[in-house]
Amino acid sequence: MKTPKVSTSTFEPDMTPIIDVVFQLVAFFMIALSFENTEADERVRLPKDMIARPPEVRPEYELILNVGYRRTATGRKLDTNPYVFHNNATVDVRDLGPILVQERRNFESTNRSEVRTTDRVTVIIRADDDLPTGVVQEVVRHCQQVGFSRFSLRAADVAE
Amino acid sequence: MALKRRESNLPTRFAIPMAPMIDVTFLLLMFFMCNLRVSTSEADFRQNLPVGGPKPVLNDDVVLPEIKVGLKSDRDGRLISITIGSKDLGNDDAAFDQLSDEVLTVVRRLGNPLRKDVEVEIDADFETEYRHVMKAVSKCTGRLDPQTKQVARYIEKIKFAPPHKPKE
Repeated sequence: MKTPKVSTSTFEPDMTPIIDVVFQLVAFFMIALSFENTEADERVRLPKDMIARPPEVRPEYELILNVGYRRTATGRKLDTNPYVFHNNATVDVRDLGPILVQERRNFESTNRSEVRTTDRVTVIIRADDDLPTGVVQEVVRHCQQVGFSRFSLRAADVAE
Repeated sequence: MALKRRESNLPTRFAIPMAPMIDVTFLLLMFFMCNLRVSTSEADFRQNLPVGGPKPVLNDDVVLPEIKVGLKSDRDGRLISITIGSKDLGNDDAAFDQLSDEVLTVVRRLGNPLRKDVEVEIDADFETEYRHVMKAVSKCTGRLDPQTKQVARYIEKIKFAPPHKPKE
């Protein structure tokens, strides 16, 4: 009696389409991912505006200060004290001076030009839209005391 | 002489090991997916002058009008009134639109050569919510044409008045 021949070849699914799709996805996420805005803090809810436009010329040096409230994941405020979120640290606005001095030193160490360092740095203030204006002015005052003189107020760019 | 065909030792079909490449590709995909942040684009209001700083010295012959915009609020930061000069505009959206009209009227009166020297000073109470101040800055800066979506800017210099003390 003859026994039926059993095929010993393994089943190999065609992986080409799935690899194609995965590469497409990788390419999409690579393009969509922006590393530029890494200093933006998600706890800060920027005021929305239609007139503000991204700067045509990027500042030579920029110091981004995020000012806002500590919030839960759902956006609820944990307390009513405003803070500055800077380099993974949460700092009380009143204690901002030493941090700004350190930042100025950092900029000075990289400045090879004869122009005064603080004149080349633009302080970009990303402030929460709920903040009292006086707090933002206090942040600006701290910056001025350290010597910074160029300021830019950031808003979320929304189209009507 | 009959040539004998030599059998090749090479396999007839190359099977490139795809598994490591797929692994790495999936890791890359995971990395980019996890790092993707859906966020709105951001834009700046540039301030040419230090906040509450000294005024620049201009030509003595030219007397530019001072545009002073006031934002009064209660202890909770709610807007009570917007003023331009001594004129009270109210505290609603119409007041902001009227503020824009008032600023534009002053700028039009001056004409093009002086337009860029006109400065708006924003004097807000300590408690005033920052969004109101930014809205006022926006309304003083320019306006968006609804048809062309182009921004017409008429004021380039905005500054803040020295800060007020918080209300007791």
